[in-house]
Amino acid sequence: MQNRIISPDSNRTVDGIKSAVPIFLGYFTTSMAFGLLAVSAGLTPFEAVIFSMSNLTGAAQFMAINLISAGAAAGEIIVSVVLLNLRYFIMSASLSRKLGFRKVYARLLTAFGVTDEIFSVASLKPGRVSGSFMLGLESFSWLGWAGGTLAGVTAGSFLSVSLQDAMSGALFALFAALLVPEIKKSYRPVILAGAAAVLNTVLYFKFSISEGWSIVISMLSVTAIGAAIFKDETVEEDAETLNILEAGNE
Amino acid sequence: MNDIMIIILACAAANYLLRVVPFFISAGENIPSYLKRFLDYMPVVALGALIFPGIITSFPQNPAAGIAGVAAAAVAAWFFEGLILPVFASISVTWFMLQYF
Repeated sequence: MQNRIISPDSNRTVDGIKSAVPIFLGYFTTSMAFGLLAVSAGLTPFEAVIFSMSNLTGAAQFMAINLISAGAAAGEIIVSVVLLNLRYFIMSASLSRKLGFRKVYARLLTAFGVTDEIFSVASLKPGRVSGSFMLGLESFSWLGWAGGTLAGVTAGSFLSVSLQDAMSGALFALFAALLVPEIKKSYRPVILAGAAAVLNTVLYFKFSISEGWSIVISMLSVTAIGAAIFKDETVEEDAETLNILEAGNE
Repeated sequence: MNDIMIIILACAAANYLLRVVPFFISAGENIPSYLKRFLDYMPVVALGALIFPGIITSFPQNPAAGIAGVAAAAVAAWFFEGLILPVFASISVTWFMLQYF
């Protein structure tokens, strides 16, 4: 789209797509499993695919079909999904500052794709992200999620079980691959991420707090304390890049 | 439209609202420095919480396979640039562990 962007990391649509390859892999197998489970929970293939296409959320979709087959009421399911996905609100607030574009329709479109993985990739990209990059990143990831469910409901699982399981671990690998470069830059991420990991694990196992709540509590409390303790701000605002991005963007 | 479709679309609307509202409430560029640091540190904190205990609960039959996979990804990421190699390293190691252990 625009090659007027002079930034060390490219911000074109194709760069977004390249960044989305690991996400596509993890999403495809995970949502294939979702497609299979959804059908055995009583959803039609059409419903399962629409579920994935319109929601783009992993754990919440699995939880929802569990609740549906357990006969839960609609309100209960929707509330549970919102509680589980509260972290999206915080992630969007954080991501909002990384977006190098202000056009309303571009933001409306980008908002749809805020997932754990897309948030992580976009947040840790140096400088601001362009609309083109987010478009590439989100649409290819979405294709993986939607395509996987479609494959799951039509073909069943055509990968061996152990390969499917191994591929679902790809998303955690992605998180680790994003975290390591930050750790190489400074010791602070070790403390922040480590504290969050410990707290989240404790909340989940020792206090049996549900997944959705525990991650929100961990994210909010560790960040709140971290922001209070670590006062030296890394200057990441690159006004040049922002101006260039805004000039060349939709 | 049947009940399930209503649930699906209502969830979609709810998820979208969670994601879109923060994009439009902005205090402009002059946000307090604490808030700025808060939002800047959030991704790294989130990564810690996203990896653990998820990697363990995702492999109930063989948690070591999950941990080995993430470790392989971390090592690959330490020595090489890019996201794809760590992911393939993790898939290979996890698959191997699941097959043989």
